Amino acid sequence: MSDIFGIRQEGGSKPTGRRQLEEVFRPNKRRKLSLPSDFDFKSAFLGSIVVANAWSTVKGKGYVKNGDPILVEWDRLKQEDELPRKSDKKKPLQKKGKQLTITALMKPRQDNFKKKQNDIVRLTNRGGFEIARLPQNVANWVARLLETGIIEFRGSNVVDVPPDLKTGLDIVVSLSVYVLAQAFKPPNTRQEADCKEPIFHEGAETIEEQELRGRKQALLKLFDAVNLRPVRGSGVVGKKKDAELGYDEVLKMAEVSTQSPNLPPKPTSVRKEIVGDGEEVEVEPGEDLDENQLAMIYNRAQQHDKTMSEMDPAETFALTLRPYQKQGLMWMTSMENGDQNAREATAIHPLWQEFIFPSEPSEGIIDLTMSERSFYFNPYSGELSLEFPKAEIKCPGGILAKHVGMGKTIMIASLLHTNRFLPDLPSSSPPPSLKLNNQFLPDGPKEKSKPRQVRLQAAFKNHSNAKSTRLPSATLVVAPTSLLSQWAEELRRCSQEGTMEIHVWHGHNRFSLHEALYPDEVEDKRIQVVVTSYGVLASEHAKYEKSVRKSESSIFEIEWLRVVLDEAHHCKSRFSKTAKAVCALKARRRWAVTGTPIVNRLEDLYSLLKFLDFAPWSSYSFFRSFITLPFIAQDPKAIEIVQVILESILLRRQKNTKDHTGKPIVELPPKIVEVETLEFSVSERKLYDSIYLDVRKKFERLNEKGLVNKNYTSILAMLMRLRRAVLHPHLVMTQEELEELENSSTSASGTVKLEDLVKRESDGDTVSKTNTAFVEETLKSLNAGTGTQGEEGEGRDECPLCLDIMETPVLIPPCMHKCCKNCAVNFLETCQEQGNDGVCPVCSSGPVKEGDLLEIIIKRESDTREEEDTPKVVIRKNDFVSSTKIDALLRNLRRIRDQDPHFRAVVFSQFTTFLDIIQTALTRESLSYTRFDGTMDLKKRQAAIKTFKDSNGPDGRPRPMVLLISLKAGGVGLNLTNANYAFMMDCWWNAAVESQAIDRLHRVTQERTVYVKHFIIENTIEGRILQIQKRKTAIIKEAFKGKGKDGAGEKHDAESLENLKIMFGMDADEVLTIAPTQRTQRS
Amino acid sequence: MALPKETERLVADPAPGITAEPHEDNLRYFDVTIKGPDGSPFQNGVFRLELFLPEEYPMAPPKVRFLTKIYHPNIDKLGRICLDILKDKWSPALQIRTVLLSVQALLSAPNPDDPLATDVAKHYKEDEKDAQRVSKEWTEKYASG
Repeated sequence: MSDIFGIRQEGGSKPTGRRQLEEVFRPNKRRKLSLPSDFDFKSAFLGSIVVANAWSTVKGKGYVKNGDPILVEWDRLKQEDELPRKSDKKKPLQKKGKQLTITALMKPRQDNFKKKQNDIVRLTNRGGFEIARLPQNVANWVARLLETGIIEFRGSNVVDVPPDLKTGLDIVVSLSVYVLAQAFKPPNTRQEADCKEPIFHEGAETIEEQELRGRKQALLKLFDAVNLRPVRGSGVVGKKKDAELGYDEVLKMAEVSTQSPNLPPKPTSVRKEIVGDGEEVEVEPGEDLDENQLAMIYNRAQQHDKTMSEMDPAETFALTLRPYQKQGLMWMTSMENGDQNAREATAIHPLWQEFIFPSEPSEGIIDLTMSERSFYFNPYSGELSLEFPKAEIKCPGGILAKHVGMGKTIMIASLLHTNRFLPDLPSSSPPPSLKLNNQFLPDGPKEKSKPRQVRLQAAFKNHSNAKSTRLPSATLVVAPTSLLSQWAEELRRCSQEGTMEIHVWHGHNRFSLHEALYPDEVEDKRIQVVVTSYGVLASEHAKYEKSVRKSESSIFEIEWLRVVLDEAHHCKSRFSKTAKAVCALKARRRWAVTGTPIVNRLEDLYSLLKFLDFAPWSSYSFFRSFITLPFIAQDPKAIEIVQVILESILLRRQKNTKDHTGKPIVELPPKIVEVETLEFSVSERKLYDSIYLDVRKKFERLNEKGLVNKNYTSILAMLMRLRRAVLHPHLVMTQEELEELENSSTSASGTVKLEDLVKRESDGDTVSKTNTAFVEETLKSLNAGTGTQGEEGEGRDECPLCLDIMETPVLIPPCMHKCCKNCAVNFLETCQEQGNDGVCPVCSSGPVKEGDLLEIIIKRESDTREEEDTPKVVIRKNDFVSSTKIDALLRNLRRIRDQDPHFRAVVFSQFTTFLDIIQTALTRESLSYTRFDGTMDLKKRQAAIKTFKDSNGPDGRPRPMVLLISLKAGGVGLNLTNANYAFMMDCWWNAAVESQAIDRLHRVTQERTVYVKHFIIENTIEGRILQIQKRKTAIIKEAFKGKGKDGAGEKHDAESLENLKIMFGMDADEVLTIAPTQRTQRS
Repeated sequence: MALPKETERLVADPAPGITAEPHEDNLRYFDVTIKGPDGSPFQNGVFRLELFLPEEYPMAPPKVRFLTKIYHPNIDKLGRICLDILKDKWSPALQIRTVLLSVQALLSAPNPDDPLATDVAKHYKEDEKDAQRVSKEWTEKYASG
């Protein structure tokens, strides 16, 4: 030992007085972590670290050479009261270490002092002679680990050493790390052995916690150094991501999570006291999720789904399920019955990571981990475990996330049939216990006990009530109003006669639920379902809250077997009345059905978890500290945790989800989306341009004055006017103008009798004799149903002007020349522009006005089969003012009718006034239609859908039929798969709304290709709307709302101003010059 | 637009004695030749013309001009043609083909009462024979290539 003294003195590159002190005690405190003679069998190889810059403490040759084994030694801190310890390997000096930590923490400034004392890790040669030390950055965590006694070094050797050593020279060493059994014992020796989790006190971080954190950080560094990566659990996203996820991030996360939940985290600050007050804070900016993040979240939840087993529904279920639906049923049933085996129960506890013990490379040392063995690490607490920390969450229910059209209703129906009764348990069965650690939830117990209390009370009440001793057996379905009847209908369709009783509880139809569900003593074998709406629920809840005596029949007093929320994103805001009402329902099983469990922020999910009572995440502060805050701090962990949550409670099926054989689970027919770009007619263009210039001038004026933000409403109105002008000129006319028009116009259908025409023409004296003959000829040939010069185009005429087959032929009175309507109208407009009277484009006789033109409608055979004697050709006056878009629609519909005489098409618009005009156009075209919009009540809507689905022609086949539907009323839920043509007459700000609408057609049970056509008029606001759609779909909604909440307002303002400028077609330069003024105005 | 279809037909099925070829770089511009009608002083002559379809066509008439010098009362030195259907009597139902046929017909039937080249018209009115002789001469001189 004395040599050591000597040499150390000699090589003392770190001269301190303290060192000498230390050295006095050194022999006593040295722990040899050398080749163990009596090594604990419970140790395992973790990996090797190569330290390239261990610095030499000796001078001269021969101390050590390449390949020599070396030992790692660490000096425990000097402690006055410590007894000399020798070969105390198994029991590390927890207590001593702790005391050190106490002092160190009491005086945090002495950190440096502490480190110097504590963090010296020596490397000795075979003879026990110190040759080098580990560099500080390695030594500090190695020391921490040695201090807690959870690792040891064995079989380490020198990789590269200069032959002639000098003090401070770099030596490359390889150290093999072994983890000791001690590590897997509860880290805090002072706690009882069975208490795995350390208790966090409210308030300041305890010493134990401090120490644990030191250990945790050291472990994280160790894992990083030995390149040990979690194979599963939080922190594992995918292989690629995995490799990128450095320990820095994990470390940061680990730090963040210990911070106060109501303070925005500052990843840089390491020490933060826990305040323990999980008070709710307003939504932060930066919480929005982008597409990739969402995709990542969902991806995880689906990864086990392919291999899930299937389950057949009960016999009372009348339909056949597709394989993926059977899987879904299996999953749902197991979720309800608390059996997690449906989806391979591999969900690891969200806060834990799984590691595999690496196999030991070197021979000669016993490898105890022959087969692949895992251990588990909690990067938040620093705990290690050999046992699988299962996310043992029992939530009787879950989230069914499906794309529209995947048969959500059917799946729920099959569940209702198949899993009808509660398992025969004592009714006093306790609520599912929550085994999740909640040590990081400062106020967890308080928060969670609340809802439970309520429920227990309810249970108690039920017991005292003789009537209600029956186990809950009824299911409550909550859905948006527009879908109530569809639910009822679908459920009925799925059930065999008389097996299910469905009550729609809505409007005036709110009978006493208690009586309906629990008829006196009659054992009803039928499945009881109550369908109601969110609106009803919210208003009932308000009533219920106010009432003093709670009626036993209240929807909130009844204990439901199951509550199903359809389109559950309706209650995404946890403050909304709806969300509160929904959470107040009592149910044994809870299901949230939605296509979008996360609309655009992680907190959307919270409301669902709250409804599902999915502990611990249903506690807001827990959710917030582990998900929201880390997410705001841009920590990837937040998303990983969400992934884990969803993995355990969410079944997501998309149209493109594949089954285990790689086939898509649903083979939907293709969807062909086309944009038809149209050009305005001359007069439409004039009208539009004048409105546009006017509106733009106004906007510029406002913008110059910086008043844009204050005038959102009027600007939006201006935009609206432009958007209407694109559709039809009448939509931008004032009331008086319209009335005037109305007075001048004639009959609704505008049909003219052919005979009258012939007669009138022959009587008239304006036309010469020869001409009369021609007119008669023309009209006669018309009546025969074919064109006159039927050389080509199967009896349809060629327009003398454009030389094309006439789509919409018109007759020009009085000469009765024929040409296509477009050409005629164009020519008449040209004449007008030149200041002349309109004349016939063929023979120049006139004058002719646009309204005089006579349209020739040739009826299809299928239309006329029923009424044999009606003429095949109808002539009507051209007094209907059409528009480019309407013409385009009619053109398309005609074409479709030619190909498919039984077609069903859906026309979407957001303007009901435009639907009115389309309606007239369809009437004139003798196309039958039905209509569905927000002004109609439930009954009328139902009838409209029924007509659209059922009405058949005389041959028993469906008649061609068009459904006019306003986006707002029909965007969600409706099932219109009997149609396969969709026309989007105008465009929406948000592309998602459009695709929702299209998905009404393109969903399960659609058997044909779905054709979607968007009509866009060139060089109008519509092009710019598309531009904005592309620019930022996510923010659009917000952008046009005007000022957002305080936090987000600024950003949104700027964003929406930009958008408005796009709308008004200002180019980049203009924007640049305007923007600064805007800024100053606001500040 | 009627243009491609009309051009196609014009090229595929030309009127006798008339050719019309669109320019490759401008489909609205046509090189036209008209054979002098038999029995007229322009017999055996091949007259070159240019025809241009304005943007508004067929709502507006095409513009047609003789490139070959011609001695005709309704055609001036610059080759401009006085023909009602090329002006106020235009109808969109008329086509290039009909226009050119009308021009050809004009060669058979000069109308000195509605003259464009006044001196030629005067010549025709005063001494039709001699005027026809000059026309014939010009045809041989300028239009026999």
